[in-house]
Amino acid sequence: MLNYFANLITVTGTSVILAVSLNLLIGYAGIFSMAHAVFYGVGAYAAALLGLYYCADLMVAIPVAMLAGALASLLISLPALRVRGEYFVAASLGLQVIATTVFEQWESVTGGLSGLGGIPVATLFGFELASPISFMIVTVAFVVLVVLAVVWLLRTSFGRDLRAIRDDETAAGAIGKNVTVIKAIAVAVSSALCAVGGVLYAYNIAFVNPESFTLNLSVLVMAMVIIGGAGTTMGPIAGAVLIQALPAGLSWLPLPVQNIGYLQQILYGTAMALLMIYRPAGLLGKARGKA
Amino acid sequence: MLLLQLMVDGVQSGAIYALMAVGFAIIFGTTRTFHYSHGAAFLLAGYTFYFGVSILGLNGLFSLLAAILVAIAFGAFIQLAVYRPIQRDAGSFFTMVVASFGVAVVVENLVAMYFGSGFLSVTSSFSRSQDYFGLYISKLGMTIMVVTPLVFLLLIAFLERTRVGLALRGLSDSPELVAVFGLSSRKLCLIALMLGSALIVPAAVFQTMTAGLTPSAGHRVMLISLAATIIGGIGNPRGAGIGGLLLGIAESLSFWKLPTGWSDAITFLILLAFILLKPSGLLGLRTRV
Repeated sequence: MLNYFANLITVTGTSVILAVSLNLLIGYAGIFSMAHAVFYGVGAYAAALLGLYYCADLMVAIPVAMLAGALASLLISLPALRVRGEYFVAASLGLQVIATTVFEQWESVTGGLSGLGGIPVATLFGFELASPISFMIVTVAFVVLVVLAVVWLLRTSFGRDLRAIRDDETAAGAIGKNVTVIKAIAVAVSSALCAVGGVLYAYNIAFVNPESFTLNLSVLVMAMVIIGGAGTTMGPIAGAVLIQALPAGLSWLPLPVQNIGYLQQILYGTAMALLMIYRPAGLLGKARGKA
Repeated sequence: MLLLQLMVDGVQSGAIYALMAVGFAIIFGTTRTFHYSHGAAFLLAGYTFYFGVSILGLNGLFSLLAAILVAIAFGAFIQLAVYRPIQRDAGSFFTMVVASFGVAVVVENLVAMYFGSGFLSVTSSFSRSQDYFGLYISKLGMTIMVVTPLVFLLLIAFLERTRVGLALRGLSDSPELVAVFGLSSRKLCLIALMLGSALIVPAAVFQTMTAGLTPSAGHRVMLISLAATIIGGIGNPRGAGIGGLLLGIAESLSFWKLPTGWSDAITFLILLAFILLKPSGLLGLRTRV
């Protein structure tokens, strides 16, 4: 039972990292990416490959995965710098599908549809994180680090530049801000932080396959950010916790056993639609001025 | 010969893609709603047809009518119950996407709960391929290639010759001007959703009779519709048709040299190329984005 809750917290913590890093793009940079699961996947595959062929030290895996995520993010900053609005959404959806195909088909590296199994137990400063509780503690620590990193980043002049670009790209360019570089850095940072989540996921489950990094997850992470409140510090955290806790909470409801999975999903979808109708700015979002 | 066969197959699946996309193109072009639930309308129409023909044993034509009614009712429902209340709050684009995604999840799981998650299809001698001078085409395939241009001709006639059609096109150009002319943009949005959803029915029925249906097919339908709409040019239903056709042919030709798993990547590489190099699409207006 204790292990169940420890694992639930680890999984939720990973989602918090995803939501917080995506919020940097959606909430502050005005880049509506629907390809966030790609960088989660890049981080997870990097960690899995390191674990299998080199070592499972988090102090090695995290920097390597972050670098891989930042490099992969160039794929998304290219369209992000050229087009806006629904065109960028479509481009990010396209990248998501292409990345899923690559995860599935590049069998020599990713193991194809069957994925990579038998990832060794992660270590940190020489300690083996074998028990769910120890892994949970490490996860929570990384969640705190990621959240602090984002909060700190937004308080610097870089954060103010980012918001300036979101609110009016032309004006920000006119006062001499290098819009291209600022956007590209934001995307790289967001993807690198997202890859941290991927590393934790890979070592927690000890198995990665393409199914965990599909469009569904990207949309789900976006839903976490929007439901919680984009552009707020606590919103995405609340959204991630809510979305992860909902299925777990629903499993306590006395639902008929044979259709339980479907019924949970139905309640889940209904909640999503109703929230958007009644609280369009998100649970913790301020009343919206300009959309 | 293999190449020619792949071309024919490509045109056939491209025609289905074109039919999938055109409804999305109309909804997106006129209301600017990112109608993620377009795939849900597809599922409802396809499974209604299946239910009518295979479970109730009804006549195909009657089942087709039932599917059209269900699709229109769904379009009206989502506009009135979901999109309109959000629009009232000056909701942003993404609030709509999340709400629409929620509805799509509900529909997918309702369908899976009733029909199960496996493949279902309606097959008959009609869908069996026949040999014509070395090329394999089914009667159904030929029907698809005849019906698709017909649907497009009717739609274009509707959009260009009737008052409602002209008003819909006006709405996509300038909502303010439509209001000045004394037309209700709320009513037009409702019409766009109902029309766009009804247009998914032929694609859903053909898909049920060829490849078959699964509850998870909705996401792919939405992705293909979006890709075809952008490739063709937003705001032009003809473009969506050409975009769909192009994607079908490209996908089919990719089987020539590549393993089957790569066909989706081809579709979206084409989409990315268009977004980066020619975002206005094949037939779109030349505007900056």
